[in-house]
Amino acid sequence: MIKRGKGIAISYYGTGYGNGYPDVSNTKIKLNKEGKVEIFVGGTEVGQGAKTVFLQIAAETLNTSIDDIILFSEDTSIMPDAGTAAASRQTYNTGNAIKKACEELSIKLKLIAKEILNLNTTEGLIVSNSSIYLSFYEEKKVSFLDIAKYLGENLLIIESNFIAQTVEMDLETGQGAPYWPYTFSACEVEVEVNTLTGVVNILSAKFAQDTGKAVNPNMIEGQMDGGFCMGLGFSLFEDLNIINGRIKNDKLSKYLIPTSMDTVDIEKIIIEDPEFTGPYGAKGIGEPVTIPVAPAILNAIYDAINVRITDLPATPDKIVMAIKKDSKAEDKNGKID
Amino acid sequence: MINLNINVNNKDFEISIEEDKRLIDLLRDDLKLTGVKEGCSEGECGACSVILDGKLVNSCLIMAFQINNSKILTIEGLGQGDDLNYIQKAFIEVGAVQCGYCTPGMILAAKAILDANQNPSRDEIREGISGNLCRCTGYEKIVDAVELAGRYLNGSEIYR
Ligand code: FES
Ligand code: FES
Repeated sequence: MIKRGKGIAISYYGTGYGNGYPDVSNTKIKLNKEGKVEIFVGGTEVGQGAKTVFLQIAAETLNTSIDDIILFSEDTSIMPDAGTAAASRQTYNTGNAIKKACEELSIKLKLIAKEILNLNTTEGLIVSNSSIYLSFYEEKKVSFLDIAKYLGENLLIIESNFIAQTVEMDLETGQGAPYWPYTFSACEVEVEVNTLTGVVNILSAKFAQDTGKAVNPNMIEGQMDGGFCMGLGFSLFEDLNIINGRIKNDKLSKYLIPTSMDTVDIEKIIIEDPEFTGPYGAKGIGEPVTIPVAPAILNAIYDAINVRITDLPATPDKIVMAIKKDSKAEDKNGKID
Repeated sequence: MINLNINVNNKDFEISIEEDKRLIDLLRDDLKLTGVKEGCSEGECGACSVILDGKLVNSCLIMAFQINNSKILTIEGLGQGDDLNYIQKAFIEVGAVQCGYCTPGMILAAKAILDANQNPSRDEIREGISGNLCRCTGYEKIVDAVELAGRYLNGSEIYR
């Protein structure tokens, strides 16, 4: 028999290493001889979009186009450490470090512009499109290239960092503020369970993700799609099958991950609620997009067959066994608990 | 050693190979076409997909000696650098690439779908790419990209 069920789950998750652990992103930026801004940062791009977000944040801070900024990342021989691309921390931590460094660069550039333009003060100076000018008298203007020429061999280099603020938990009471900020997610799925074969099909899915400020909505959607798919695999298929410390499912013919036929189009909802400590309000969403998926799917299975699956993945054999064990499952179904 | 005459990405090659060489190794090691990715080596993931005489195949499962007088297309033959093919453009436009490991195979799978049908439904696209695993994207934006590429192909949308 085919049975349908719906499930929801909500979650919250802390960005960064947390619990008072040093969580530092360093960055170095330089005005090169061509008047372009070069950013050196160890934040690693693994497809999640770190480089795009870094460039967007730098361009926003320097009030220019991303084409005017050159980003160097990942080569640890020429750049400072920005911590791991993990713990959903790159947008928040490294984004903040880059924003800070670009702000410091702007201040330095304005001081030099003041000198070149022979002004009393830096008040009223605007940084825009790789130039600096006086807001009410635009003839007083100097380009980044002019500044670079003026500086000659004395390249302008800024080193900056961002250290996340977290507090170690009290070991006795377990109280404290181990993470900041938190990111919230919600997932809803509808499934169909074949009670004879134990096969679960996802019929529809919704996912709502709190992002702080969504720096790149299209990439956030991509993360939500991917996170859902990983959560789905975790719930229904993926099993390392570790026996005596050995991974038995050590190839893709045995360790099954979702294919394009196992997933559905997801209704995605981005919830923007800027976080005041984040760069332009942004928070990390890398891990949060996976977390509520498994409980939502398991709740939906429960809603369909009235039996709780407590061991992942919820493979067809486990579901059939669970239904058999709970022989009353058939009668109970359809009633509201 | 065996002598082969093959055409790869519209170029003719005459090469001599070991009997036990797989097509994927011929492409990656001898011809340096490293857009062909090796994911699983057992026909499960599609990262090594190429188009062989018009058909999408897993190059890890084909022996090089089997392809004498064949025509092969890899991602490099579709477009490179600034000179990209419409499917590649659609993938970029939509944001269907994350880590990129599945992308060459996915794009060739998309080509195989669109060569047969300019207006595939989303279900037909999902079926057409189901032999290509992607760990990052959850497939939705890839399906969007193939749809967009279809619109580029049939002229209902213009690309630059
Ligand atoms: S490497 Fe050939 S199918 Fe995975
Ligand atoms: S983009 Fe990473 S595997 Fe598809």
